[in-house]
Amino acid sequence: MTIATDDALAAFATTATSAVAQCAGLDPRGRARCLAEAGLIGVLAAEASGGLALGLDHAVPVLHAAGAGLLGYPLLESMLLAAALGERPEAARIVLGDATATIAWSGGAQLEGGLLSGTAGRAPMADSADLVLVRLADGAALVDATGPGVIIDAGDGLDLEAAECRVILSGATPLALLDGDAMDAILQGARLLWAAAIGGAVETCLAAAVAHTSTRVQFGKALVSFQSLRHAMARQKLAAEHIGAAIARSLMHPDDRLARAAAFAAATRFGASAVESALQLHGGMGFTWDIPMHRHLRRIRAWDAQGDAPGLHRRLAADLLAANA
Amino acid sequence: MQPGLSGEAFRAHVLAWLAANVPAGIRIDQPGYQEPDLEACRAFEAALHKGGLAGITWPVEYGGHGLTIREHLIANQEIGRRGLPESINSLGKELAGPIILAIGNEEQKLRLLPPLLEMKQIWCQGFSEPGAGSDLAGLRTRATRDGDHWRINGRKIWTSASPWADRCLLLARTGALEDRHKGLALFAMRMDAPGVTVQPIRQIDGSTDFAEVILEDVPVDAADALGAPDEGWGAAVRVLSIERATNRMYRAWRFENELSHLMRACRSDATLAGLIGSGEYHRRLAEIMVDIEIIKGYVEPTVERLAEGEAIGDRGSLMKLHWSEAHQRFAVLAMELLDQAPPGAGDEVAAARARFQSTYLRGRAETIYAGTTEVQLGIIADRMLKLPRER
Ligand SMILES: Cc1cc2nc3c(=O)[nH]c(=O)nc-3n(C[C@H](O)[C@H](O)[C@H](O)COP(=O)(O)OP(=O)(O)OC[C@H]3O[C@@H](n4cnc5c(N)ncnc54)[C@H](O)[C@@H]3O)c2cc1C
Repeated sequence: MTIATDDALAAFATTATSAVAQCAGLDPRGRARCLAEAGLIGVLAAEASGGLALGLDHAVPVLHAAGAGLLGYPLLESMLLAAALGERPEAARIVLGDATATIAWSGGAQLEGGLLSGTAGRAPMADSADLVLVRLADGAALVDATGPGVIIDAGDGLDLEAAECRVILSGATPLALLDGDAMDAILQGARLLWAAAIGGAVETCLAAAVAHTSTRVQFGKALVSFQSLRHAMARQKLAAEHIGAAIARSLMHPDDRLARAAAFAAATRFGASAVESALQLHGGMGFTWDIPMHRHLRRIRAWDAQGDAPGLHRRLAADLLAANA
Repeated sequence: MQPGLSGEAFRAHVLAWLAANVPAGIRIDQPGYQEPDLEACRAFEAALHKGGLAGITWPVEYGGHGLTIREHLIANQEIGRRGLPESINSLGKELAGPIILAIGNEEQKLRLLPPLLEMKQIWCQGFSEPGAGSDLAGLRTRATRDGDHWRINGRKIWTSASPWADRCLLLARTGALEDRHKGLALFAMRMDAPGVTVQPIRQIDGSTDFAEVILEDVPVDAADALGAPDEGWGAAVRVLSIERATNRMYRAWRFENELSHLMRACRSDATLAGLIGSGEYHRRLAEIMVDIEIIKGYVEPTVERLAEGEAIGDRGSLMKLHWSEAHQRFAVLAMELLDQAPPGAGDEVAAARARFQSTYLRGRAETIYAGTTEVQLGIIADRMLKLPRER
């Protein structure tokens, strides 16, 4: 893989930041169009499907902006799914924003006699989606979210922007099947892009903490002059940089399993605690619904679960033990 | 070494050299390890340089190999992976040398740099003083001009390697104390000069690797003044900020060597094997792995940036904060595991325990030297986040 120039990546970041900001005033379908027009949904998708066929390094600044800007759209899922579907017609519909798509990250379905049944969970915004990917024991199946044998109900996750849903299948017909390798590639890509989104969220919360502590006066001076708070913000910065460093190295070594896993593992380990710290620095205001600190925190917790951070850690430890047997 | 090797061809050279030249018994993770004495370390490091594995980026005319920082990274990866002895001249190679390269004159470079790489001269760093630690700019050791000499008076403390060093990179004041950063100069002071007294100080692990250095009317040749009399602070800060990001570049890979050594030792004992296999420790072990990946995540892209001639700003502070705290977390875990071994555990457990007890104790210094954790956090707050200061 070639590493993109900083200029190209900066251009993606700028485009993504303004598209994400625009999305705030739109409904889910409007967001799909807006993101598609900005060329963001197809970053990874095949050219024949209207995509740009670029590497994950180009998707990183896009998801960073999505995390930073609290985007309420399953963009990560749409990008990866459109890429995985190759030249199938559904890919082009997703890329163009004609269809909204999501992935149910937990649970899954069985395929028997050509029909799907089972319960899948953690599918962001499946209630407004046209297409949902559910996992099979080996691989995944794409279903029409509004089709027969598919029931979508509200999940119980914390995320408020792209609320997680449950997908209950009873005799649904798959529109397409992905093999185990394709599903694995989606998962690997997702872990990297969740890391990018978490990094973006951390930076937004840190900027809010800096702004708040620079203006709020207690004991006759701005809070930012208290060293313990300066150090707390320095640690939030450190968290954001750890995540960025792990992502950068993961892009340098796409075939290194540990390097790839490390980006998500670092993000789940340092991301939520950095946002918790930024919330703390807002005092009582940080505990209010109106201040978006909790929104970031909620979705980081949801992403941690979608990517199965504890399971990933268990597998890393198993690798270590196997390597030193 | 063939001149001009680069990339993977250079790695092949490094692998072949290490396979042929690492003396028996000096790899700390291997059976039969015997702690090498000073002379053995000196000889091994001199051989590393001769073999092309040290002084990699320095110009050939000053004893270096004229290669890039990418080759420096490659050599360090392989050195780190093997659990070889830590450098006894890292302050020379990674601090004094780069400062001389940056602000020294031609005569100084030709005279001081080759013997440093050849390990004929070991350096120490005389910055900290009893009254000037984190607040280094408050240092009081004074340099006064006396004909063709400078005269040094004052006290340095915590000076690592000073008990055996040949030269000291000394930071001393030529101007008034109130001037703080201004009026500080650097010197390449001979440690055998009259008036230098080294009083070793015992460290928490029982060793005496640092000392208090008392300087009474010490003559330093004018030819050993490095840069202009007011250039000391600027040069020190500039070099320190790069050094913080690049020194002991083998660290992440050595850390990996420690982790796999710990795993092998635990595997050798039924009780410990049960513990690490039980899942109780999986999360912490995986976190250590990720900590190591993050160090690499700072090092490798930083090397690329430096190789492209870009500035790296204060990234060294991020890296230093991370590796020091990560290493301490690792050492705590290693101790906790090995302390659960039964009394009759075998040699592998005993060897690992000796290694990691030392790692644990010596690791306490890692958040103190080269700028404490609190100082690094301050640098990030002030220089990276540019947080406003109290007025
Ligand atoms: C093993 C070892 C080797 C060393 N080798 C060398 C060497 O070779 N050459 C050399 O010159 N020096 C060396 N040092 C010295 C080292 O650089 C100093 O110890 C370090 O800079 C801290 O200074 P100090 O010990 O005076 O502690 P102090 O500066 O007195 O700090 C004490 C504590 O207070 C904290 N603190 C200080 N100021 C602030 C502040 N403004 N805000 C918040 N917290 C603060 C510190 O972080 C620390 O926790 C070595 C130290 C050690 C431990």
